[in-house]
Amino acid sequence: MLLQDRLIAFSIDRPRWVFYLLLALCVLAAVQIPSIKVDTDPENMLPHDQADRVYHDQVKERFSLYDMIVVGLVDEAGVYTPDTLTDLHTLSQAIGQMDGVVQQDLMALDRVDNISQQGPGTIRFEWMMKTAPQTQQQADAIQAAVERLPLLNNTLVSADGKATAVYVPIISKSESYRLSQEIQAVVDTLKKPDQFYMAGLPVAEDTFGVEMFLQMAVSAPLAGLMIFILMWVFFRSMLLISAAMIVAMASVIVTMGLLIGQGYTVHIMSSMIPIFLMPIAVVDSVHILSEFADRYKPGEDPRAALKEVVGHLFTPMLFTSITSAVGFASLAFTPIPPVQIFGLHVAFGILFAFIVTVVLVPAYIVSLAPARLAALKDHSLEAADNDSLLGRLLSTTGRFSLARSKGLMLFFGALVMVSVYGVSQIQINDNPVRWFKEDHKLRVADRVLNSHFPGTYDAFLVLEKPASVAEQQQLASQLDTLAKQAAVTEQLTAMRKVAADPLYVNYLNNLVDAFDEASFSAEPAQEKAWLAMLAAVETAQSEAKYFLTPEALNYMEKLQAHLNGSDYVGKSNGLPTLLKTVYRELNGGGDDQYRLPPNATAAAQTILSFQGSHRPDDLWHMVTQDYRATTLWIQLRSGDNQDMSKVIALVDQYIAENPLPEAVQANWAGLTYINVVWQDQMVNGMLSSLTSAFFTVLIMMILLFRSVKIGLLSMLPLTVTILFIYGVIGMVGKDYDMPIAVLSALTLGLSVDFSIHFLERTRAIFRETGNWSATIEEVYQGPSRAISRNAVVVAVGFTPLLVAPLVPYITVGFFLAAIMAVSAVVTVVLLPAVMDRIKNKNALFGVTQETHNV
Amino acid sequence: MFKSHLQGIGQRTLLALMLVSPLSLAAELTDAQTIVSQANVASYYRGDDGRSEARMLIRDAKGREQVRQFTILRRDRENGGDQDFLVAFSRPADVRNTVFMVSKHTRADDDRWLYLPGLDLVKRISAGDKRTSFVGSHYFYEDISGRNLNEDTHQLVDTTAEYYVIDATPKDLASVEFKNYRVWIDKQTLLPMTIEYKDSADQLYRKVEVLKVAQVSGFPTVTQSRVSDLRSGGSTTMQFRFIKYDLGMEAAVFSERSLRQPPREWLRRPKS
Repeated sequence: MLLQDRLIAFSIDRPRWVFYLLLALCVLAAVQIPSIKVDTDPENMLPHDQADRVYHDQVKERFSLYDMIVVGLVDEAGVYTPDTLTDLHTLSQAIGQMDGVVQQDLMALDRVDNISQQGPGTIRFEWMMKTAPQTQQQADAIQAAVERLPLLNNTLVSADGKATAVYVPIISKSESYRLSQEIQAVVDTLKKPDQFYMAGLPVAEDTFGVEMFLQMAVSAPLAGLMIFILMWVFFRSMLLISAAMIVAMASVIVTMGLLIGQGYTVHIMSSMIPIFLMPIAVVDSVHILSEFADRYKPGEDPRAALKEVVGHLFTPMLFTSITSAVGFASLAFTPIPPVQIFGLHVAFGILFAFIVTVVLVPAYIVSLAPARLAALKDHSLEAADNDSLLGRLLSTTGRFSLARSKGLMLFFGALVMVSVYGVSQIQINDNPVRWFKEDHKLRVADRVLNSHFPGTYDAFLVLEKPASVAEQQQLASQLDTLAKQAAVTEQLTAMRKVAADPLYVNYLNNLVDAFDEASFSAEPAQEKAWLAMLAAVETAQSEAKYFLTPEALNYMEKLQAHLNGSDYVGKSNGLPTLLKTVYRELNGGGDDQYRLPPNATAAAQTILSFQGSHRPDDLWHMVTQDYRATTLWIQLRSGDNQDMSKVIALVDQYIAENPLPEAVQANWAGLTYINVVWQDQMVNGMLSSLTSAFFTVLIMMILLFRSVKIGLLSMLPLTVTILFIYGVIGMVGKDYDMPIAVLSALTLGLSVDFSIHFLERTRAIFRETGNWSATIEEVYQGPSRAISRNAVVVAVGFTPLLVAPLVPYITVGFFLAAIMAVSAVVTVVLLPAVMDRIKNKNALFGVTQETHNV
Repeated sequence: MFKSHLQGIGQRTLLALMLVSPLSLAAELTDAQTIVSQANVASYYRGDDGRSEARMLIRDAKGREQVRQFTILRRDRENGGDQDFLVAFSRPADVRNTVFMVSKHTRADDDRWLYLPGLDLVKRISAGDKRTSFVGSHYFYEDISGRNLNEDTHQLVDTTAEYYVIDATPKDLASVEFKNYRVWIDKQTLLPMTIEYKDSADQLYRKVEVLKVAQVSGFPTVTQSRVSDLRSGGSTTMQFRFIKYDLGMEAAVFSERSLRQPPREWLRRPKS
């Protein structure tokens, strides 16, 4: 209480200090804001050191894989015409020159090789489409060539021949939007620009960032305006409204300044901070202002009234602020950094808003001229409101609630049961492309391209046989023995030192050179020993190349066949695909020759032949230089996490039935997979965040009311609300995605406010009157109205989100508004009904004989 | 008249002597065609035949390496004209005895063969594009056997104290991946020391450099060179050792039979 009195005294005695201090804070925070950095990379949903993410990055590094923009050209009449291919050629050439594009890995018809037969016994490597075809005959020849090459067919040109794609690998995902704009500019100069589509996760993610930024710039002020208008409707006083608006603005500026100033990037969630904070921040000022207006009599010293009002409201306001803050802060328990940052900053903002409210609002009132203070009285709420629609509705509700308490409880009981069923039906799913509306051009592109191609979504299944220490030791001791026999141990030691390399493969290569050299220059007596050592290393080198062996390749081939037979996998490309294609062309090109080379040496030489093409390095996207790890590039038509999960299950099942060869490991990488990982983390994280918030708030309620029963009662409306809302989500089949997940914890913090006010007032009134029906009568006059009004303010404050062009904002806006509405209704309808059923009201409200007598 | 004077010493030897003797420096060359012709001879036609062992280190932008080791046999049919190459691989062990053979023609398409012992397969490689990778390295097939001079037009753009600087423009743009290239030819040895290739956007994307030159049997000979792919950041270094000229190889060494049965006597490393 001491702190509380000091704060109020400071505020009333030194209003100017309060203003200057707040102004200084706001300025300090505001100067941070221009250095804002937006980050919409879903990868950042996982901490940098998260195991799957680290692995994903390693895979990208080891296999030189890049994120890709997919540009598609669709022509229902078929793309193999001189005109269409000319457009494609022009576009691909232009893209190749763009900054930020990994030029050597760009994939399009004019960038890849054709391997074909040129007469008997002659193999031909040539560019598939070095220059655009001039005649239909040339275009037909390209079609015939593409359809023969499994690596290209249905990847570069769709199987139906109606779409062709340019796969644009990019150095950094954060450049996708700029590149997509540059590509669009080139497309616009072509003959039929409307035939082009752009898809791929990077472009969706980066475009989302750009649109999010615009969204923030529009939604936040719009939310402010909505709240302003709403308060005007309720209070019709600029004086009242400006105080509340100052609190809201200051909270938003300071919170965002703090976030940006600490160097955090603004993620999808944190971009919504202003919209969350504004409605929450105005609520407390509204409480103080309206109560002050009620109590203050013109001519009096406003200080006395202020002290009384603030003193009386301080505790409930503190508790509602803390509970809201706890709800948001519980997001820190999710393992998702952007969500943690969002939660903690909103929690900070709420507490900051509370302090600003109790310090600024009194200072503001004290500084008003007496005439204006007098005018405040005209806006006293009680008188105007009793006959209002809201007032009448609430009294009716109160009577109904008591009269039908038994029925109501049955109804809510049934509702909870149905909701629980609904919750069990929840589909956990997300897809960053779906963050755009149906008619967004990225969504359209996604639909069109994935209807032709086996998929614009990538996942990589990595098979790996880690280096075997045993094999390395065996080679080492073999060399030791040979050296000892020829008495060249010292030379060997020296050579090993020179040959040392962090990469074992390089080390062996260096050893081979050294032994080769030594065998040549050594005494004839030692030559044999060096040649033996050379042979030993070379044998080890060949044997180490595991993914050239028939065992490994056969396993992969069967796995690929299994995957390709599934509806969820569009297509898989891998080392077996490449080997079989080149092997076929080496052996005359007949379909019956489309098979794996018979042994590891044959495989190595098939690869050597492939390396005589224009793009030998494409090999290293499929296998590492030491042939100990390989990737299957899996294309998916859908980026839905559910579909990716099904593919994962498919592989798991296959591996369970067909165990991996000894010591081989299988792991996933790729953006589509990473999305599944962070979603899993989020779902589990949200559960623990929700649980911890629930119990924290429950304990706070028990402490606040100093009663277990009322504490439990106060949790009732929000429990019903959360179950109901998530039950509805489950029943209507709305996917449980990131925004929905985050909502649960927020709901808790926000909707418990209603219970606090309601129960606090009910108990106070009952203690005064000692009469239940009189208590209910009064509760439905003041407190219910305040709750309803606040619910409306907060709910309406979120409505600007409904017109947002980005789906997560709409989702958050809609569900928050719904949650506010439902929890307000549940509070005023269910709580009285339940209390009515509790017989011993004295015990419930802690009425002792003494208090009653007082 | 003039020709009869030369008969005793052999045209090529005389030419070589001219190139390395200080006398030849007196007259600076001014004709681009002459310079590139002589540079072509200096790089690919030393002696009547030659043998060397090459070691390639293919390194990607991330420092990962692959090794290729092979022996090159060459025999000229005509100085500055048609010649034969046979490339026999010895490492990595799993491609050992793979043989690549070229019969180079200045007035027609080259003939190329590949023998893959693991598949017991002789394949002709189509005349088509010679600017494809040579066994996965950053060298092209064309870099190994030499680009036909008639495919480009040459212009002497500068003569510095050390180099003739020549710009080459392809006659048929569609047959190559570059727009033009510039060569720095050493005035003394007439070896092209640096070649820089530019793409259609005038971006430098490929560079060939000679890193080491040594005198072998009196011929200035490249013993180490490197090709860099400036786009990917990868490069291949090639080192030549055990170089010998004028070994007296017969034409039969370069017959199709040699693919399956490599000429061991020439492939064996000379012990001196």
